[in-house]
Amino acid sequence: MKILAHSYVCPQAVLLNGKPVSDLKNEENPFKSAYQQLGVDYPKFYKMDVLSKMAFIGTELLLPYFPEGIDQENDLQLIFANSSASQNTDNLFVESYEKLKNPSPSLFVYTLPNIVTGELSIRHKWYGENCFYVEDSFNPGHFSEWAQMAFDKGNKSCLCGWVEAKTDGEQECFLFLLTNSENADNSIELELSTLIKQYRNE
Amino acid sequence: MSDLKENLKAQIIEQLNLEDLTPADIQDDAPLFGDQGLGLDSIDALEFIVLLDSNYGIKIADPSEGKEIFQSVNTLADYISKNQ
Amino acid sequence: MHKPVYIQYLSLVSPLGNTVEQHLEAFKNGVSGIKLTEKAGFQDTSIPLAKREGNSSNRYDTLLREALEKARQKLSSKLFENMAVIVSSTKGNIDLLPGDTFASTKPIIHEFFPKTDVFIISNACVSGVIAINTAADYILAEKYQEIIVIGIDAVSEFVSFGFQSLFALSNEACRPFDKDRNGTTLGEGCGIVLVSEEKVSESAVLYKGGSSSNDANHISGPSRTGEGLVRSIEKTFKRSGFTASDIDFVSAHGTATVFNDEMESIAFGRTNLNQVPLNSMKGYFGHTLGAAGVLETIMSIISMEHNTLFPCIGYCETGTSVPLNIIQRMESKEINTILKTASGFGGGNASLILQKLP
Repeated sequence: MKILAHSYVCPQAVLLNGKPVSDLKNEENPFKSAYQQLGVDYPKFYKMDVLSKMAFIGTELLLPYFPEGIDQENDLQLIFANSSASQNTDNLFVESYEKLKNPSPSLFVYTLPNIVTGELSIRHKWYGENCFYVEDSFNPGHFSEWAQMAFDKGNKSCLCGWVEAKTDGEQECFLFLLTNSENADNSIELELSTLIKQYRNE
Repeated sequence: MSDLKENLKAQIIEQLNLEDLTPADIQDDAPLFGDQGLGLDSIDALEFIVLLDSNYGIKIADPSEGKEIFQSVNTLADYISKNQ
Repeated sequence: MHKPVYIQYLSLVSPLGNTVEQHLEAFKNGVSGIKLTEKAGFQDTSIPLAKREGNSSNRYDTLLREALEKARQKLSSKLFENMAVIVSSTKGNIDLLPGDTFASTKPIIHEFFPKTDVFIISNACVSGVIAINTAADYILAEKYQEIIVIGIDAVSEFVSFGFQSLFALSNEACRPFDKDRNGTTLGEGCGIVLVSEEKVSESAVLYKGGSSSNDANHISGPSRTGEGLVRSIEKTFKRSGFTASDIDFVSAHGTATVFNDEMESIAFGRTNLNQVPLNSMKGYFGHTLGAAGVLETIMSIISMEHNTLFPCIGYCETGTSVPLNIIQRMESKEINTILKTASGFGGGNASLILQKLP
């Protein structure tokens, strides 16, 4: 197993393979600015919840690194996780029926964490396998296990993501693209835990 | 009429949670639905029904009626001024 | 598949009862758990729900404890050495908002199975089938010897109001695949199965393979062509080495919304499954979301065990462009191989195949 590329999106910055792509510190709408800097035309972006927006931006940056010669449409598995599920949108939806007295359908459809993988699949025409886990914290060992099981089943690459958007709390999206390279060292755990620490400035 | 359109744009942004957009980002005659314009879909059409009811007291019983009305800010404003 | 993977049911709790036997009786007699429930909808409207008695808060925690208690009694303690738990749920305990809705899940499981590794899968309505597939993946990877899979979701105003806002709820008990269907009915329940590398009891059947797939089409509307479901079924056939002609019974998703059931009929037509006896169990359980895949897998195992096809209650007349072989009355049939499918928000689809032991 091998990490082909990685990206990190948070309200302060966007980074690709450890290097800054956008500085968002002085931006009023950081994700809007990051989206506009991508130069892609995808108006549905504006309707997305924060989880999907961050994952959308992070994924666009990884596109040049997808391995060639594999059936990306069918053999790419998406493996995502976070600790708060769809908490941010859940609370907005509760507000829509408790305070505004109108349960909002366009919020309700984002009250599931796996909508993130749905949005990415729609954007890139990926018909492959998806799974969304809820975990206490980012666990490199678990991602490594899940990716290995995906490869064991015949998937050729995995787009993995830790994507978190808490109400009044942290917002971050760490994505990494994996391939089942037989020659590479099979343990990616250490590399992943180093990378997330660097991205979080820990 | 132009006040109505500006209000509508602000209400669309609020109702559809498009908080990254400003009214200036929405053109009067740009398609709201489909892959161009705002890229809205059938779920958002439900939000327009709520918007028309709560802000203008206009009730649309049949969601399929909305197709014509919700084409653009222009068609929406037109419908509101005729039916209010 | 390299080595056998076994699956057996441990616990089943829903408005139809809290034992497998009670569920078997209810299914034999065509009893539905759905009732018109006063003041359960937005602005105190009445909506049909498959809801257990009582209006306690923390419905999720209560349901989880009750089902775990029964599962625990069925397992001998020698199993727990190399075991994990996978939970499938869309919302967890909604009463914990504005905080983390899954915060209570792991501590409750640890009351019954201390220190066990716990994974939570939240993948909308396909969560249950994906959780069973993932359990099998873990067994095949030899990471664990046994995995307990828990499918659970509770009725809440949050989800009811949301489905109402989408105009997705039926005004009567839902009618899967019927001409007059006009929406789903929500339900609640908890089902627990054990997936293991060894045959643990006589009621075990073989897990033969599974997969998931995305429609890549829309986050809340089903694909018009059934593309994602077709790809998942085909992948599951390929992985298990089975074809449509091997399948004796299909436990479909069948939410009873106009578009979902139409999509499924097209997908079953495209995969040559339209002649195979098929039901949706939403007429009994309502749509239990993250629990559905596990609950319906349990009842499919019971169907195999008793060689009995249970009717798709709520269904009277063909209502999809591709006619399906929908089971209308209870009948005896040798059932050796079953296909379970699910589809849901986020464009997700999933399927799995089970086979009776030779």
